[in-house]
Amino acid sequence: MTFLYAAAIAAYTGCGLYLMLSRHVVRIILGLALLTNGAIFLIFFSGRIGSMVPAVIPLGDQQLAPDAANSLPQALALTAIVIGFALTAFAVALLVAAYKRLDTLDAREMTAAEDMGSPFLPPGGRPSTGGRPSNDGRSAEKTPEAEKKSDEVKTNG
Amino acid sequence: MSVSLALVLGLIGSILAPFAAARWKTIGNALVVAVPALLFLFFLMQLNAVGQAPIIEENAWVPSLGITLTIRLDGFSLLFALLISGIGTLVALYAASYMDEKTPFYRAQFLFYILLFMSAMLATVTADNLMALFVFWEMTSLLSFLLVGFDSTKLAARKAALQSMLVTVGGGLSLLAGIILIGVAADTFSISALMENPAPLVESPLFTAIIILMMAGAFTKSAQVPFHFWLPNAMAAPTPASAYLHSATMVKLGVFLLATMAPIFSQAAWFGPTLVAFGGATMLIAALQALRSTAFKAVLAFSTVASLGTITMLIGLDGEVAAVATVGFILAHALYKAALFFCAGIVIHATGEPRLNRLGGLASVMPITAGATVLAAFSAAGLPPFVGFISKEYLFEAQIESTFTAIAVLIGVLVNTVMVAIAVVVVMRPFFRPARRELHVHHGEATGMTVGPVVLGVIGLLFGLAPGLVATSLIQPAASAIYGEPLDVSFYLWHGFTPMLALSILVVALGLLVAKYWDPIHVALRRRRIFDRVLDDRGYYWVLDNTLALARWSTLRLQNGDLRIYTAVIATVVTFFMVYALLAGEGPVFPSVNHPEFNIYMVGVIGLIIVGCFVAALTTSLVTAIIGVGLAGYGLALVFLLNGGPDLALTQFSVETLFVVIVTAVLLRLPLMFTTTRTPGERRFDASLAAVFALTIFAAVLWIEAVPFNPVIPEYFAQVSYTEAFGRNVVNVVLVDFRALDTFGEIAVVAFAALGAWALLRRSNVARKKPASTPAKGG
Repeated sequence: MTFLYAAAIAAYTGCGLYLMLSRHVVRIILGLALLTNGAIFLIFFSGRIGSMVPAVIPLGDQQLAPDAANSLPQALALTAIVIGFALTAFAVALLVAAYKRLDTLDAREMTAAEDMGSPFLPPGGRPSTGGRPSNDGRSAEKTPEAEKKSDEVKTNG
Repeated sequence: MSVSLALVLGLIGSILAPFAAARWKTIGNALVVAVPALLFLFFLMQLNAVGQAPIIEENAWVPSLGITLTIRLDGFSLLFALLISGIGTLVALYAASYMDEKTPFYRAQFLFYILLFMSAMLATVTADNLMALFVFWEMTSLLSFLLVGFDSTKLAARKAALQSMLVTVGGGLSLLAGIILIGVAADTFSISALMENPAPLVESPLFTAIIILMMAGAFTKSAQVPFHFWLPNAMAAPTPASAYLHSATMVKLGVFLLATMAPIFSQAAWFGPTLVAFGGATMLIAALQALRSTAFKAVLAFSTVASLGTITMLIGLDGEVAAVATVGFILAHALYKAALFFCAGIVIHATGEPRLNRLGGLASVMPITAGATVLAAFSAAGLPPFVGFISKEYLFEAQIESTFTAIAVLIGVLVNTVMVAIAVVVVMRPFFRPARRELHVHHGEATGMTVGPVVLGVIGLLFGLAPGLVATSLIQPAASAIYGEPLDVSFYLWHGFTPMLALSILVVALGLLVAKYWDPIHVALRRRRIFDRVLDDRGYYWVLDNTLALARWSTLRLQNGDLRIYTAVIATVVTFFMVYALLAGEGPVFPSVNHPEFNIYMVGVIGLIIVGCFVAALTTSLVTAIIGVGLAGYGLALVFLLNGGPDLALTQFSVETLFVVIVTAVLLRLPLMFTTTRTPGERRFDASLAAVFALTIFAAVLWIEAVPFNPVIPEYFAQVSYTEAFGRNVVNVVLVDFRALDTFGEIAVVAFAALGAWALLRRSNVARKKPASTPAKGG
């Protein structure tokens, strides 16, 4: 069975990494979710599994039965699940916000910060905003306009 | 008064006096001169005591690391202390006058650096602990940087400052490495302790590395080949700083260190010959470059480099005479070279003309300066009855008596010929030969500026006429200190008709000849551009430019903005170290196949997970991918359920459900099909990287299962969970009691994530109105 568990963990991490290596932001997030599950599984597994008895002290007893499951990795995994979910949810929110503003899901095209100028080149070393046309630059210009517009809409309404 | 107290008071004075100088000109300047002058008097009073035995004072500094600020004043460091404070006095006097027409702040700032440098320098030569020595050594480098770049509006000055800093501080790092190795080898940083018991250091296998590292540090500081280039460039500093740092004191720190350590290092047979080789090469190159130089200060700078080469060679030569010659030469050189720089400064200050061949006929305008130059130059040329003559006699004697006779004497004669020629030229050109074209003299000589060279020149003559003044009081203890045992010193003017006298006469004759034909030689050598290519600082710029280019290249390569590359790099490095750890440990070990027990449901669940993962990875549809991830997540929940973790299973079910719901709800606004963002080649690469990563994880999991399990912590929780925390669900007790702070942090993370997501999505709601309003406005 160990081989099967190991295979499941390897599938999580391998597929997760493969997805994360993509430049498509949604796939990166899905990969992150898989990788998180793999890590949780690994924590759970390294505490040795095999017992089906939950780590709960029966009424009347003072101590846990010796054949109960290991409580420590469960506690750690529980924390990890919740944190992992929080991270994924935040990443999804970030993705949606980014897509609305930048109109792309390709990580290569999310260059709004770079278009403000490279800190690695001397001023005048290379035109910082010129070169390739960037829709991010345009959307960055558009955003204040859009906000103004929405204000107008609000006041008109 | 103890030496430590004197040094501390000197430091306080060095800091306060320039502030006074910024406010009250006359009193302040007097204070600035008084600080080094008092220190000089103090060190003079130590002459007798040091003549008997070195003064050692111990002050705790970092007791926990065994670093004490021990002061060690032996004959050799006393010689340096006297030079530093004595010449420092004259430099302060000279600088106050040199900077007279500048703003008070500018002048005070310069004096501040000069006095601070003096304090750092005194601390360096009196430090017994090598770590302390290193700290003060680097302080002198830093102050040299500030002084070379003092005219910070000039590009050349900034460049030269950076260069001197990079070279000397780089060498300082090498020195630090050597010092640390000494600590490793001998378990002490104390020079005195090393002198008493050098055996652990000498017998250590690190001995060779230590000598090389410390030599590199000394060579950069003392501008030895191949680091000779920075010193002439450092002449961008104001002349008082050049006279003080870059001729009389700081650049001698390297040879100071070598000479101090020589009794120990010379136990390595190659130490002496290496110093002779580098010193000789430095002498020849510097002499050649001096002949090719046009600027007054550059000629002097190259002659300084040649002198430093001479000292390095003398330290490398064996024999008692070499020790005496080293000390004598350091003394004589500091006296005459500082004086020559002072005179050069006066001339350049008054005329604004730095080029030697444009100057002329100044003897009538500045007779005192001319006289001082003559005194200093005679000493530099090694003419009797100046102290330079005695030191040159000893130089030749040391060379003849050493085992390197022929080659050492040949280099000595060649280089000293050039020295004589330089001495003649720096006297004749500016002062006694008529100027080639009209020279505009802005002002005559100021008293404050002429005191220094005159005093130094007269002292050079005095020590030559009456060497008894210094022979037993100063030279003997200093030479004994670097020789390692007490020496009998006979430092006197007239040695009789010896081979050394013949060599001296030969050198003077040849030197006069070179001086007569200086112009043709200068022009002919200057035309040879090959020397520029080989001898100047091209190598330095090559290293500097390529370092910067490498940094730029690697930044653009590694920080290229492509997230995929970052992830790939991280994954590769992690995989590499995991594989390394697996292989470096007990190697791949395989667990029993039957543990945990076979369970048909588990097989199904794991099959579900694997299928879910691959579906998510391979599909091009967004919805299918989300379902795949969800499947894999539910699979994990089932794993928990089947292995005694109902709490986990419950959480995982809810989280996974929430994940699918939220992601589906939010992502439905996105395109439903994935666009390709990777080329097939990139995908293949990523797939193989992911496969290697997964296989490594696979092996690691098997390895985890095979190593023995340590159940101490879970057993502890199992025992005390009810008795101490009054909870029956051990997992929950662990979370809210034993690891409560951890859980608190977790809750905070979730709260921040929720806040962040709310802020992001609220913002995007505002932006969402954009597509609705755009057509309305456009239409």
